[in-house]
Amino acid sequence: MSGDRHPAVAFRDVTRAFEGRTVLRSVSFDVAPGEVLCLIGRSGMGKSVTLKLLIGLMKPDAGAIYVGNENIVDMEENQLSKVRRRMGFLFQSAALFDSMSLYENLAVPLKRLLDATPDAEIEAIVRKNLEDVGLGNDGHKMPGDLSGGMRKRAGLARALMLDPQILLVDEPSSGLDRVTEAEIDALLLRVREKDNSTMVIVTHDIREARRLGGRIAVLDQGSLIAIGSLEELAANENALVRALVSEA
Amino acid sequence: MRRYLEFVGNIGLFALTAVRRLLAPPLELQMTLRQIEVMGWKSLPLVVSAGFALGLVLSLHTRNTLVRFGAEGLLPTVQALAFFNDIGPLVTGLLVAGRVGAGIGAQLANMRASEQIDAIEVLSIDSFKLLVIPRIVACSVAVPILTILMDVAGLAGGYVAQCLTSHISAGLFLFRAFTNVSWATFIPPTVKTAVFGALVGLVSCYFGYTTNEGAEGVGRAAMNSVVISSLAIILSDVVLVKLIFFFFPETAA
Repeated sequence: MSGDRHPAVAFRDVTRAFEGRTVLRSVSFDVAPGEVLCLIGRSGMGKSVTLKLLIGLMKPDAGAIYVGNENIVDMEENQLSKVRRRMGFLFQSAALFDSMSLYENLAVPLKRLLDATPDAEIEAIVRKNLEDVGLGNDGHKMPGDLSGGMRKRAGLARALMLDPQILLVDEPSSGLDRVTEAEIDALLLRVREKDNSTMVIVTHDIREARRLGGRIAVLDQGSLIAIGSLEELAANENALVRALVSEA
Repeated sequence: MRRYLEFVGNIGLFALTAVRRLLAPPLELQMTLRQIEVMGWKSLPLVVSAGFALGLVLSLHTRNTLVRFGAEGLLPTVQALAFFNDIGPLVTGLLVAGRVGAGIGAQLANMRASEQIDAIEVLSIDSFKLLVIPRIVACSVAVPILTILMDVAGLAGGYVAQCLTSHISAGLFLFRAFTNVSWATFIPPTVKTAVFGALVGLVSCYFGYTTNEGAEGVGRAAMNSVVISSLAIILSDVVLVKLIFFFFPETAA
């Protein structure tokens, strides 16, 4: 990883197996700063595992994972914690803390990590982030009172609380109707335009990948079988790649 | 056998991690106080009503035997010693294992299944320190306090039963109850319940925090938390009683 300009994130020959089943086999890719990379593939092909490896929630069995110029694989938890502050993660289920209101969910990272921030400032940031995702009047609600789309938007607002340089998104549209799906994608695009964040987005929906733009990587049977623009993938020699891309 | 050894090893490592992280900053005082409220305050009605009923039943059962030997006057003493020495600590521990242990196991397993624990980690917050340590500490603090209240409720139950049969005054009942009670018969058995609390917290947090089996794992974590922490309390009681006898020989007399 030498040179002046590092990729925002990079996988180098990453392998990961669960109970003897190899989910990722020597996978390598780079994502440049400000770039959007959509990971597509059939279910159970290691897309979500890739995201969890990228943020250090799992360790690979082999290979290196770079965030900026730092290999996070052998990092201690406290070092990893510093790296994670530059990253945001939107979980497939949004993973809101169900014992806290929406407001508290968003305030948690600021209160925990920025001790010196006055309460008034925290409140202003939380209100602004809630308004940005269209939940300005819902801060008092508990996660159980929210619809699927609202939960996703709230999860996105929380992921953006620390102004991450890198945003990892796991199935932003799963379980949502088409209108809400498009709204979430529009939000992601707005975030990208505003903050020029690097994004790695896992999706099974090629329409969504098309809307979000950027490069597309196709995972199958644990291997990265293709990576490139939508047009390049449409002309790929692998029939599965063409089939996944032409599902729109 | 291998699975059993693996389990003992894993929970031992989990306990070591908890001890190592106990005093590492941040101390999570706010979360600990919140857990003490959730576990202690909300278990109070259960513990007090169970203690009162047990006191009542114990008095009714032992009365006839003591009357037969002409020792009816010893009933308050028997009642107090039985509650202070083992009924109070053991029953409180088991009640907390049932109520709080199941709650902790299910709650943490649900947080694991719904990726909330991962979300905490992703926000650069130490989930072990935030979720596990406060629960273990809260259990260790809450159980001794609940035990004292169980003892008081047990004596109150015994007094009510005595009143119904022999119209003893409260003053005389208390005088007789505490005649043979020394600090050594009260403090060590009460303090040992901090170990019961720690075991309930540790075992339940272990099952909840380490499960990774989705919704099915939530039920299993709750059940395992109750079963194993109840067993741990009973087995540790044997050792702790022996230790109390060793360090406070007057209690064995």
